[in-house]
Amino acid sequence: MLKFKYKGSLLALTFVLSIGMIWPVHANDAKAPEKAVVSGAVDVFGIAVDEQKKKSTADHSKFKELQVDFKDGPAVTKACISCHTEASKQLHKTKHWNWDYINADTKQHLGKKNVINNFCTSVPSNYKFCTACHIGYGWEDENFDFTAEEKVDCLVCHDTTGNYKKLPGLAGHPNYKTMEWPPHSGKFRAPTDLKQVAQAVGKTSRATCGACHFRGGGGDAVKHGDLDSSLTTPDRYLDVHMDAKGLDFSCSKCHTSDSHEVAGSRYQPTAVDDKGTLIRGSKEERNAATCVACHGNVPHFGEFAKMNEHTDKIACQTCHIPAYARGNKQTKMSWDWSTLGKMDDQGHAMKIKGSDGSVIYDSKKGDFTFDHYVVPEYQWFNGEVEFTLADTKIDPTKVVKINSFKGSYDDGKSRIWPTKVFRGKQMFDKGNNTLVVTSLSDDPETALWKNFDINKAVEYGMKYAGRDFSGEVGWVETEMSWPITHMVAPKEDVVECHQCHTENGRLAGIEGIYIPGTNTTPLLDKLGFIVAFLTLIGVLIHGAIRYFMHKRGG
Amino acid sequence: MLKAVVGFITGIVFIGIVGWNMADVMMLREVESPYGVEETAARIQRNMQSLSANGWTLSGLRNPAKAVANSGMNVPPVLLVEGCSTKYSGPILKNDATRILSILMPCTITVYKKDNGKTYIGLMNAGLMGKMFGVGDIMAQVAKDQEIFITFDPKKPAPPLIKTSPGGGGGAGGKASDGC
Repeated sequence: MLKFKYKGSLLALTFVLSIGMIWPVHANDAKAPEKAVVSGAVDVFGIAVDEQKKKSTADHSKFKELQVDFKDGPAVTKACISCHTEASKQLHKTKHWNWDYINADTKQHLGKKNVINNFCTSVPSNYKFCTACHIGYGWEDENFDFTAEEKVDCLVCHDTTGNYKKLPGLAGHPNYKTMEWPPHSGKFRAPTDLKQVAQAVGKTSRATCGACHFRGGGGDAVKHGDLDSSLTTPDRYLDVHMDAKGLDFSCSKCHTSDSHEVAGSRYQPTAVDDKGTLIRGSKEERNAATCVACHGNVPHFGEFAKMNEHTDKIACQTCHIPAYARGNKQTKMSWDWSTLGKMDDQGHAMKIKGSDGSVIYDSKKGDFTFDHYVVPEYQWFNGEVEFTLADTKIDPTKVVKINSFKGSYDDGKSRIWPTKVFRGKQMFDKGNNTLVVTSLSDDPETALWKNFDINKAVEYGMKYAGRDFSGEVGWVETEMSWPITHMVAPKEDVVECHQCHTENGRLAGIEGIYIPGTNTTPLLDKLGFIVAFLTLIGVLIHGAIRYFMHKRGG
Repeated sequence: MLKAVVGFITGIVFIGIVGWNMADVMMLREVESPYGVEETAARIQRNMQSLSANGWTLSGLRNPAKAVANSGMNVPPVLLVEGCSTKYSGPILKNDATRILSILMPCTITVYKKDNGKTYIGLMNAGLMGKMFGVGDIMAQVAKDQEIFITFDPKKPAPPLIKTSPGGGGGAGGKASDGC
């Protein structure tokens, strides 16, 4: 129903419409302009390179070690570690380097190289492609030397020029020769000027972290929904902390690092932090990337103090992130692999675009759906995530949860969290009832994206990963969830009371909790109506008696 | 006599209260769309183009939510699809008595997302508006066309969104355009 203010007069209606007419905004404005990639001392990542140089105690362009025409990335790293002697050794211990992680609570063996997802599904047999987002050089197969110090890529995190890009298919290297990119586009990318990039290194930034994390799932905004390139130079409404003209937080402001190990984890998230503020430099072994770590346990004051009574059951993000993908970037919401392989009339692979220009069908990949300004799905979450791994038996008649968020009202350690739930339909081994590793990109004989033969691609992928394969590929529906923690809105844009405390409100369907306005008790409702009705009857009878008594008396 | 007057006034008040509370439903309609905001807007545009025989042309596509976002606030997506038919607008604009109704032109259909994540279409009740302002016959035709605008064929693929500029170039005496 429309709000009261719209009711009544036609003039009011036309006034509202006429305001709409004078807004000089068109849908082709919907895409935020990409930051121009330029070289030299120019504002590329929200801060001028010259400005950064002024703040730094070291001007790397003056170092003789960096005044060299480097032939490749490892040569740059050798120069870096000639001064920063321990850097590579530190990096070698991190998740960013190993893509390998054992959850201490669940004992599950996780990490990017081990898990299966419902985007491009798996890393093994696709290393050259996937490792464009590895902080190393040359990981093209399982024989990669994880102890080689020169293979750590310093530049991908410390570049300030915006000219350093690791392209898919090059096993983590930038291009050293002129290269057509994107493939078959007719556009050519000049060789990376490693000397220029190396001489301009600086602190990490939203852009350097975002080079991979904004592009999870293979493209801008695709995977997470709350991380995309609109956060490179965001406005206040998009993220109150990262607002480029305001607080201007870099990622590392919350995701602090110690010996290059960065705080925060998708494999073992911190769902509840009730330990109060965390003083920077404190030796407490806690995740620094939580709201409470800065805002404390009692963050609301004055007229908003009532909100502190919600924090024992509701994550901060539930109210403070009203929707994700708010930066006019479309995030992928579903991916159906089972429809791949359709060709156009000439028998060529094809792409079909949707109304907004997003590719909604690709012969290599199947069907997609996208959305923006997405209201999250809410669920209890206590930080424990159980993954369906390559050897986990699945029931293909049901939707398989790639990662299950654990938690409930009564476990004493859960909060209601906003999440993005990504829905897929992907390959599985029909004989063994397991998810599968699929060869997508690297091997010319079997790669799905080159041959469109799903059986051959899965057979090779499973053999490559050393997994048993029955030889029969089926399709199974899957779900994968991510907690939403970025794109924090300013306080005036938080989720309002009535958005939850109403029939079919945002938290309708959350089990185990009574939400006034959302949950009803039919018996109580009926009793209330009966009492109100009887009261009305009583008033009428009372009034009638008084009237007639007055008449008789008068 | 007094009873009759009181009854009459009570009746007017009652009708007034009912009318006041029903006004939004009577003048505006809201319909849920099975598609996202962009695809819904694009399908409306395509349907509007399919009625070119009735004089319909696209006049513009506006994004008021973007303007609000630019001023630093969060609002869900809204797209205004604008179209005009000279077959219907001509007679209204020709007449001094009805020319003021140009304030309702071009015909605007709004597509927006609500807090429940669903997409909705908002339209004016053209038939009722027409009756109220003495152009009932013309607006009855517009109402029929509106129904076609919002009837979607799921078998047809999603058409591209046409990011057309608002029509009517040049102001009074300026270059003629297809739209209003």
